[in-house]
Amino acid sequence: MPVLVLPILLALACAPLAYLAGRWRTGAAAWAGASCAMAALVALCWELMQGPARLVLPWAPTWGLSLEFTRDGLSGLYAAMALLVGALVVVYSRAYMPHHLAKEGRPARDEVRFHVLLLSFMAAMVLLVTVDDLLLLFVALDLTTIVSYLLIGFDREDPESRAAALLSLVLTGATSVVFFAGAMALGLQYDTFSLPLVFERAANDPPSTGALVCLAVGALGKSAQVPFHFWLPRAMAAPTPVSSYLHSAAMVAAGVFLLQRLYPLFAPAVAVRDGLLAIGLLSMTVGSLMALVADPFKRVLAYSTIAQYGYALVLVALGSEGAPLYVAAHAPCKAALFLTAGAITQVTGKKKLSEVGGLRHSLPVLAGASAVGAAGLAALPLTVGFFKDEVFFHALAQRGPAFMVAGLVGAGLTLAYTLRFWWGLFGGPRQDAPAAPRLLVAPVVVLAASVFVGGLLPGLLVAPSRAAASASMVHGGASSLELAYHLDARAENLLAVGAWVLGAALFATRRAWTPGLTRLVEGGSNFGPAHGYRLLLHQLDRLSTWLHEKEVRDLRDRVASVLVPTGLLGMTVLWVTPLRDRFIPGTVDWADVTLVMALAFASAAALATLRARNHLMLVLLISCVGFSLAMVFAFAAAPDVALTSVLVETTFTLLFAGLLALLPSRRLERAQQEAQKPRGRDRISAGIAGASAFLLSWSALSHLQADRVGTQTVKLAEVAHSPNVVAAVLTDFRGLDTVGEMSVVLAALLGVTSLLKLNAKGKG
Amino acid sequence: MRSFVPPLSRVLLWPSLMIALSLWMKGGGQVGGGFPAGALAGLAVLLQYVVAGREQARRYVAVRYAALLAGVGLLLLVGTAFLPVLAGYTPVSLFPRPGQPELGAGAFHLHTALVFEGGLMLIVYGLVVTVIDRFALSTARGEDDVP
Repeated sequence: MPVLVLPILLALACAPLAYLAGRWRTGAAAWAGASCAMAALVALCWELMQGPARLVLPWAPTWGLSLEFTRDGLSGLYAAMALLVGALVVVYSRAYMPHHLAKEGRPARDEVRFHVLLLSFMAAMVLLVTVDDLLLLFVALDLTTIVSYLLIGFDREDPESRAAALLSLVLTGATSVVFFAGAMALGLQYDTFSLPLVFERAANDPPSTGALVCLAVGALGKSAQVPFHFWLPRAMAAPTPVSSYLHSAAMVAAGVFLLQRLYPLFAPAVAVRDGLLAIGLLSMTVGSLMALVADPFKRVLAYSTIAQYGYALVLVALGSEGAPLYVAAHAPCKAALFLTAGAITQVTGKKKLSEVGGLRHSLPVLAGASAVGAAGLAALPLTVGFFKDEVFFHALAQRGPAFMVAGLVGAGLTLAYTLRFWWGLFGGPRQDAPAAPRLLVAPVVVLAASVFVGGLLPGLLVAPSRAAASASMVHGGASSLELAYHLDARAENLLAVGAWVLGAALFATRRAWTPGLTRLVEGGSNFGPAHGYRLLLHQLDRLSTWLHEKEVRDLRDRVASVLVPTGLLGMTVLWVTPLRDRFIPGTVDWADVTLVMALAFASAAALATLRARNHLMLVLLISCVGFSLAMVFAFAAAPDVALTSVLVETTFTLLFAGLLALLPSRRLERAQQEAQKPRGRDRISAGIAGASAFLLSWSALSHLQADRVGTQTVKLAEVAHSPNVVAAVLTDFRGLDTVGEMSVVLAALLGVTSLLKLNAKGKG
Repeated sequence: MRSFVPPLSRVLLWPSLMIALSLWMKGGGQVGGGFPAGALAGLAVLLQYVVAGREQARRYVAVRYAALLAGVGLLLLVGTAFLPVLAGYTPVSLFPRPGQPELGAGAFHLHTALVFEGGLMLIVYGLVVTVIDRFALSTARGEDDVP
């Protein structure tokens, strides 16, 4: 048993553990989940000490599919970030959610649901960063998308929150499908989905630009970069802990993480990297400008996230070693600020910067801790944020003066909006507010302390960020990243000082430029991609309504809409397959009489359905067809198939009859009358479907070769200790299919229960 | 004439379940298997619903928690399929492996396939019984509405 999976298993165990604890006592869920997350973090750190490793579990080796996990610096850094921030946010939610739920008028038990979802998200994130396989990467990416949908739409009574959840699902889901297309293209090109193998083969045979663009689009959608950025501010409709986690340490980081993980593919493609660079700079500008004028404080932070991940994208596109460090340094700062915003909303009930201010007297600890977080975000010295800007300036300084100016302006804007945010909350004339609960402040203090310690002792960060950088670089070459304070006139220091001056000047003159910038930003948002999205959604809605109305006019149309395309497809298959002696009329001798009798019975029952006068009769006639087929199996000496089909037929006939009893009789009568109105096009669709089924079965039966599969299967069944061939096929040869099918059965069961429950509720 | 039907149906429940269990047990060697076993057990419960009504049928624990049993079945199925992965085998590796000595006597084979089939049985049983139960619940509500 390889130890590599221990942190992953612990992370996966968090959500079920929280659920069980929540069943016992609502308040215990958060503590159980958070301590399990901390255990996972400890396990992770302990394992990272032992150096990089990989774990390969063969899945379907003949197809080159396997479950592959990796333990390297990059996965370690991101997993540690997700686990640490996740645990703190869960603890914070313990204090935040009861208040929030009470305000929304929902039962306190929903808190458990919240913790479970948040911890599931954490597990999906840990999975995403530790897998080393393109397909699994996609699966984990979609897991994060689905859970984030549930989290953003947690206040399901609130239409705005539902719309925001749908928007983020559509955008990140659609872009992750594009990512999947890119992953498939790579998989087909290199004949494997295992990332190290892909990287190895890509060194000789570079991937196509199309595939790279597809992968990049998936990552950009997750990271909320410019053409897709508008889902992030809308997602602020979620409860604050969700924003704090998804939009600082997890969901948005996943996009940049993907680019770093796949960097060896992007490294030689200079054109794609230049495109990413342009998008990163654009996101920086757009996000910063919007953050400068936004009023609700969560929005300020959301725009700031867009801008900050723009920086990270620039770093990735420049191939800088500092990219993982940048994301990791940004996460605690941003999480601390988000949690501050949530605490203030809870204490004062206000959500906008223009409504609060002067809170530093009533909330001194929160003000101090969030000041450290803000200083980290604005890259002031003595915080870990200083180094994130240092690596940023270092990378830009190597590219030339134009890039240095862009970096200077970007960092200046960051300082300006961070000052505006903090001052807007805590500065200005004194206002009084009730004290914040200790549990709301403690996580902010812990995050601020980590920001501060990282800034005082940068040496602690060197080893992990070097490991992360070398894992994401080409060929895993050693990284020469160094972090220290230098008191000299090097370019990074000059740029940093310039940025502080610019930021302070912008902040001081804010009254002069705010109105103009507000008009500009508002004008821009009317023509932006958000508008295009609304139009597209509207048109898609119309298309689907039109199709729906065509399809469901009545039952016969609905059946025909399935059967006719299937029939046409079957005919096409027969038309294009070059089979000789396609249709052989067989011989019938005396031994087959019983079979013919059973088949005659089946056809008689099928014909009788045409004249059936009520629904119960129809059900019975159809079951007659089924039973006579069971008879065929019995005659053909397949007793197990016959047994199964008799039992299944009985069950379904009875359930069908039960279902009929549920339907209102008036509706049944109306359906009966409608179904017997003669209609010309029914004959055509029936003809197509029937002819296709008939020809396909005839063609298939003409090519039966008894010795082809059957004998081999029988032989193998003996070897597999299961003389019952059907059982052997079901459990052994095609066992994985059975698992899949049974999951579908269970999903159907859930569907039936919830539908019938709705029905019962509607009546009661 | 009617009077002997309800007691008879109650008596029939246990033999039917025994037969279902035996179908499951000998599925590896002879006619049987998890799928028909689950369907048969479901039918036995269906008889209780038809004859004795929902209240009476729900006296049995296995009827009240049928949906949960389906979940347990899926866990068994997934467990048998994927636990071997942790030990380095391909998914759905059944033990004893081909070639290893066989355990069991007569029609009864001791084999991890038995667990797998057990999962199948529970899922099918859970599906049938839950759907019956929901139908019975809805019809009962529907009849209450009629004055």
